[in-house]
Amino acid sequence: MIETGIPKLDKFLGGGIPRGKSLVYYSQPGVEGEIFGLQTVYGTLKTGGTCVFVVSSTIPDIVKGQFDEFGWDISSFKDKLFFVDSYNPLIGAPSNEKYVVSNPDRIEDFHKTIMDIIKELPPSTIVFGSLSTIMDLCGEKETIEAVRTWNKMAMLYNHTIVYNFTAWPYSDETLNLIKGDLFNSVISIGGIAERVIFGQYFGIMKSDWAEVSRKSMLFRVLRPGGIKIFIPKILVTGPFDAGKSTFVHALSTRAISVDRLGTTVAMDHGHVEYKGFSADIFGTPGQERFDPIIKLLSGESMGVFLIVDSTNPSDFIRAKHMLDITKSYGLPYVVVANKQDLPGALTPEEIREQFHLPEDIPIVRAVAKDKIGVYEAFEVLLDRVTGGI
Amino acid sequence: MSDTIEMVDKLLADLKKVGGVIACAAASRDGLLIRAIMQKEQIVESLAAMSATMLGAAETATTHVEMGIPTRVIVESDHGKLIVVGAGPKALLILLTSPDIGLGLVLLELDKSAKKLKEILT
Repeated sequence: MIETGIPKLDKFLGGGIPRGKSLVYYSQPGVEGEIFGLQTVYGTLKTGGTCVFVVSSTIPDIVKGQFDEFGWDISSFKDKLFFVDSYNPLIGAPSNEKYVVSNPDRIEDFHKTIMDIIKELPPSTIVFGSLSTIMDLCGEKETIEAVRTWNKMAMLYNHTIVYNFTAWPYSDETLNLIKGDLFNSVISIGGIAERVIFGQYFGIMKSDWAEVSRKSMLFRVLRPGGIKIFIPKILVTGPFDAGKSTFVHALSTRAISVDRLGTTVAMDHGHVEYKGFSADIFGTPGQERFDPIIKLLSGESMGVFLIVDSTNPSDFIRAKHMLDITKSYGLPYVVVANKQDLPGALTPEEIREQFHLPEDIPIVRAVAKDKIGVYEAFEVLLDRVTGGI
Repeated sequence: MSDTIEMVDKLLADLKKVGGVIACAAASRDGLLIRAIMQKEQIVESLAAMSATMLGAAETATTHVEMGIPTRVIVESDHGKLIVVGAGPKALLILLTSPDIGLGLVLLELDKSAKKLKEILT
């Protein structure tokens, strides 16, 4: 099993990509698909594996620079990472790499180099920087035939073989093969501009070793950092003085608030980077006179934190009402039982009872001002938002 | 799909070319950033959220006193101006200018862009 290092993807794949299997990152044109292969290379290296990166669309030095850009130090993996240079020969420049494809527009030359690598190296992860470029140079049919052989050889020699592929307008036959039978697993990567969510997503289209979850994950690419699961909006709501702003600030890597005289008059906005996730947090005001603003801000949320003051059960009715105002019913939500350090704080069980909350709604104990329980609550909500496996 | 994003980028690039414009962004009415041209990328998400709040609060305030829906929100400070206009029911445009700029041309271009953005997103 090798890990791709891409958050959630390894989990979806049941831990990663098993040895001997092939996988293709199938990207729509215009999305940042190539970084998936790159991150897989780094994921392999970091977990002690050997890696081969087949560079087709630029010189290897630029690819090395890209690792730097993402903050991935590959200098310490010199004898674990090999580049196959199939670009310099194309422009007639000399190459410093150990493996070179002398005529990158001839599939026979490619085939020879790849076969050598498969036979020579210990079980490794072989990543193709761009299968589409090889296809453009060598022809669709020819490339597919070669890939078929490489995948079988990789299986025999226990290599993991991974391709980046951009779905340019090739023949339907080619695209269907790539999406269908050619690989053990297909990860589709696309862009959406649906309603107002503009972004990129990935999802598992096919995998013959793990149960395929239909869920797609939004992601963004950070430099440094790489692929992060992106959650555009998580709402933090609850009655007046429950500690919503405190919670937003405790959770966020950076946050701002519009508050006057100790109460939030417009909103809190925070940004969280945590364990491969990147999320934006919107905190609403709590007092009833600001309800119009709450309605305005709450659209398109993907999950909700309902903050309650555990010492103040009289506010629970208002708390429930706020779920209503924010139209949060149906969205995943987590109740944060705040102010657990104060005398008289109710236990989660007591809150569930007084609140008449269904059993499946999680209640997390927290002391937001001391950052206690906030990350636990975040993880519980993330699990629910991302379909938790 | 990615075409829409390209169109929004083009629209913002054109708007950015107007004299005195420092930065501009498109956001949804509920405060999510769509795209932006801005130096400090980290603050742009909060700016989108805050601007949506300002415009929304302004609309709520004026409609309550039967003034109708405001054309735009302009915030002036010694260091610059911040302008927010609605662009259809789903989106809004945010513009930052230098402090000494006359608003005539900027507002004209901004209104044109807002109409275009509305078209792009429907």
